[in-house]
Amino acid sequence: MLERRAQRLAIMFVAPATIFMLAVFLIPLWKVVSQSFTTMDGHFTWAGYAELKTSILFAKVMWNTIEISLMATVVTLLFAYPLAYYLAKQPPRRRAYLMVFVLLPFWTSVLVKSFAFMVVLGENGFINQGLRAIIGGDLPIKLLFNRTGVMIGMTHYFIPFMVFPILTSLLAQSPDLPKAAQLMGSGAMRIFFKITLPLSMPGVMAGSLLTFILSLGFFITPSLMGGRKDMMMANLVDFYMRETLNWPVAAAIACLLLLLSLAFIGLLTRIPGGKSVLGEAG
Amino acid sequence: MGGGEKPVGAAMNPWGIFSTTVAWFILLFLMLPSFVVVPMSFGGKFEMMFPPTTFDTILYERFFSTGNWIATTITSFKVAIGATVLALLLGVPAAYGIVRGTYPGKKIVALFLLSPILVPVIVLALGMYLYLASFKATGTDFGLIIAHGVLTTPFVIVTCMAGLRHIDPNLETAATIMGASVMQTFFKVTLPLLKSAMFAGGLFAFLMSFDEVVVAFFITEASTMTLPVKMYSSIKWEISPILAAISSLLTFLSLVVCLIGAAAQKKS
Repeated sequence: MLERRAQRLAIMFVAPATIFMLAVFLIPLWKVVSQSFTTMDGHFTWAGYAELKTSILFAKVMWNTIEISLMATVVTLLFAYPLAYYLAKQPPRRRAYLMVFVLLPFWTSVLVKSFAFMVVLGENGFINQGLRAIIGGDLPIKLLFNRTGVMIGMTHYFIPFMVFPILTSLLAQSPDLPKAAQLMGSGAMRIFFKITLPLSMPGVMAGSLLTFILSLGFFITPSLMGGRKDMMMANLVDFYMRETLNWPVAAAIACLLLLLSLAFIGLLTRIPGGKSVLGEAG
Repeated sequence: MGGGEKPVGAAMNPWGIFSTTVAWFILLFLMLPSFVVVPMSFGGKFEMMFPPTTFDTILYERFFSTGNWIATTITSFKVAIGATVLALLLGVPAAYGIVRGTYPGKKIVALFLLSPILVPVIVLALGMYLYLASFKATGTDFGLIIAHGVLTTPFVIVTCMAGLRHIDPNLETAATIMGASVMQTFFKVTLPLLKSAMFAGGLFAFLMSFDEVVVAFFITEASTMTLPVKMYSSIKWEISPILAAISSLLTFLSLVVCLIGAAAQKKS
């Protein structure tokens, strides 16, 4: 360890980043808050929030956002868990190779993904052509510009985010535990439900919360693959900002979205697996 | 888990076959976009079809000869390089101060520095627009660089924190005992040992800024658009086959970054 004086001096090292974040991260956030109480000509107003209170559109979008985020989290978990389980069972070398298949989508632009899915899922896309060939000349199944499209896009986006923490908690388990249970006569199912699954819950909780938090503010995928009338809160911010030029309302929605996210971020810092997500700072 | 001891083939009971099939189905789903855009990019000019029926490099030629697309690509490169440098300058010392230091409020500082990862990007985008507008810096490369600095610095911090945890602090103690100052220890002992983590963090920061679309969409203007912003409006309004070529190039960039990044992280 460094000597004590040096340990205290370490505060100098975090100073530049902290000053930068205060100036370029916290002040912009404050700008959003103050804009939500300010009319376009600079006076104080409650109008932004008052409008949201009575707006049927906002109520619908807010409910949509929570519903889509919950659905995305559950569907992502259903896909990510079996994948993480499979990866955990592989020998280390093989797992390292297979991880490329998870890391590449993680680092692929969301625009590339959306574009690819729009081509494949379209009415004359690969999937519909395949279905037509198998089932027959039915009408195309609508896989885009609706809830299905958003769910496909978001699930694809979030699987890597969910796989990482679950894989970490699966790999942290001692391989002796299932072996001991097996020696004592437990079947594979019983070992999974009584040992493996409960011990991986920190990863599951961290991955699910992370997915849910990031879903709440999702913008690109609902905008490109979702239904025109199935908006999420981020899209509504954009709508009020650009289309109707009503900045107080746009900022008020952003503030509510921020509050909603902060509540769940607070929760994330309190659960055991949250540390793996926040780099052990939480 | 029990991996590693028995060969994979031995697990081929019905349950093993089932879980392997499911896992590979999910892996294929994850790889689908890459498997779609690359073949499509070599399809003909007017084809928006997958799988393509002809082989042609015309889409790449069109991309490289269209002034608009090239200009946005150059802007993206400039901004991403700026944001990477900024994130490294701020993030590497910050990671050191978080991992090695002890002072009151350390946890709160660390949480604050990492919080841009979790704050909804749209809120930050709106805030950056209002903020930059207050000193007329919307639509400038400078504005975009500092905005992307906010998004990329936390990732450099996380990567370097992980790297620092693998460096034996006794090496630093030895240097101080032999009379090196805090700064000398940081520059002559810690930084050289942290090289691969910094390299990986820098690569991730570059790619993150290069691909970032929401903040850029809010604060750029037509003349300073980045590649992702132009792609976004193109996908939204007039989907064009050139997008397949651009998507393939971006996929290739992602592949390079994730392979080099993973190798560098393993070394540290």
